[in-house]
Amino acid sequence: MSMTAQAPAPGDQPILFVRDVHKHFGGIQAAAGVDLEVGRGEIAGLIGPNGSGKSTLFNLVAGMETPDRGQILFDGHEIGGKKAYRIARLGLARTFQIPALFENMTVSGNLLAAAAEGHWHGAQQRADETLALLHLEPVANNRASDLSGGQQKLLEFGRVIMRQASLILLDEVTAGVHPNIRKIILEAIARLREQGTSFFVIEHDMEMVRNVCDRIIVMDSGRVVTSGAFEDIVQNSEVMQTYLGRPQ
Amino acid sequence: MAQTMKNRWAGLLLLVVILVVLALLPVLVNNYWLRIATGALMWAGLACSWNMLGGYAGYINFGHSAFFGIGAYATAILMGAEFAVPFLATIPIGTIVTALFAVVIGAPTLRLRGAYFAIATWAFAEVLMQFATVVDFTGGTGGIGLPPFLNERFFYFAMFAAAVLTYFLTWLLFERSRFGLKVKALRDHEPAAEAMGINTSLVKLQTFVLSAVVASVFGSIFAYWVTFINPKSVFGGDITDQMVVMVLLGGLGSLWGPAIGGVALFFVNRLIWMYYGDTAFYIAILGAAIILVVLFLPNGIAGLFARRSGKSGSVLDTVLGRLLGSRQGGRS
Repeated sequence: MSMTAQAPAPGDQPILFVRDVHKHFGGIQAAAGVDLEVGRGEIAGLIGPNGSGKSTLFNLVAGMETPDRGQILFDGHEIGGKKAYRIARLGLARTFQIPALFENMTVSGNLLAAAAEGHWHGAQQRADETLALLHLEPVANNRASDLSGGQQKLLEFGRVIMRQASLILLDEVTAGVHPNIRKIILEAIARLREQGTSFFVIEHDMEMVRNVCDRIIVMDSGRVVTSGAFEDIVQNSEVMQTYLGRPQ
Repeated sequence: MAQTMKNRWAGLLLLVVILVVLALLPVLVNNYWLRIATGALMWAGLACSWNMLGGYAGYINFGHSAFFGIGAYATAILMGAEFAVPFLATIPIGTIVTALFAVVIGAPTLRLRGAYFAIATWAFAEVLMQFATVVDFTGGTGGIGLPPFLNERFFYFAMFAAAVLTYFLTWLLFERSRFGLKVKALRDHEPAAEAMGINTSLVKLQTFVLSAVVASVFGSIFAYWVTFINPKSVFGGDITDQMVVMVLLGGLGSLWGPAIGGVALFFVNRLIWMYYGDTAFYIAILGAAIILVVLFLPNGIAGLFARRSGKSGSVLDTVLGRLLGSRQGGRS
């Protein structure tokens, strides 16, 4: 099933609309005409085998890479090729596959730095609330580089909370973390979703995909192969072939 | 919490005592030692200005002496017979010229990754030194003299005021403001800082200009103090080298590290001069200081007093990682 290729009508806009986006690195076509959208308040999961173009797509949406061609609309704004900081200021936040912390700063400092541009009013109070929400209070004054791997994932998630974003891109945010930390992150996602935040999530953990995502988008070879509810996706033999390397 | 408050009060008390002693120093010591103290204050201020970009933003500037030299030459030229501008009026003019140079040089070079920024700034200082050597209005290789004003106390208090202002500004901007959070964020992970909405190009340029302007002020005071400058004495690469080692020894990216390193190394320099009449041995001391820091003191002397929750990493690791291109500091 291909995604909508028409630009959305005003008033009925998805939070993220991607149409015919291409990106190549040398001879490698990392995005080969990606079409997809993420609805407002939706949690959309993005799955696909390694090298399918998921992280490239995130980088294109977040402004870390410039598309060769195609259209990317975020909240009605054309963002394709815009600088990352401008896109962030529009209300898009992201995490990185490998936590990209401000390692010489404290945990509190990391949270405050996330609010330093644009959302400063009440930042200290929000940082305290975020520390409590993510159970990071005991390590608030520790350097970020002193945290465990799971705590680093939590802190990076805390930073996107501090951004008060309308769309959050999560790149394997629960990969390799302790079940307790995973639970904390999932609860925080649910809470933000209740407040109207939309999510676009790269995830290999099928259990999390099933429990959290409203809709799954499957990528392979730089294209969207299909999308739909988790139950429909797992019934799709083509998907199971490409994703798991075996027919169902 | 109570211990933290106690430490803060103790630190504040120590700072007040140091400031009082420094303010009374002209009545406590003779002119010889006052001159040494004036030099120590200058190096503490210069090291702090280098640390703004090198320590807080993580961009190693090997051409910082260029801005010290621009300030020095601005004062020397403007106080000459042709313009006869009063000393204090030459300082703001020097800072404006310096800021313009910093913008023109910083805007393109701060986009460079890894060691390329360091190389570009080194080349900039070398170009300026050669330029000052060949043009007439700088006095060429012969240098340029200034109207003598032989009042050690005046220069001591001028350096004291400049140093206090420099450290207050650094504390306010880099330790207590949103601006400082942005600067440190881009040092630690530039793409992540951009993803947080921070215009890293602008913040780097602001930091670069600020560090340049501060160096320029010290250059202006220095020129008037020594009454004679030439290209080597104010643009020389050894001036930047000393700032770098002072910051590394004191503590890269810390507020008080540059003061500790600056004062310590300058006194070592003067002691060697007093006992051997030559400072060649001082170069060996600088080299030894770098080895000492890299091997045993990654957080510098200041790091020995800082409360650390763990042992992983240091600002030095991050900055060297950026310099060698193995970290996410640069623009991808």
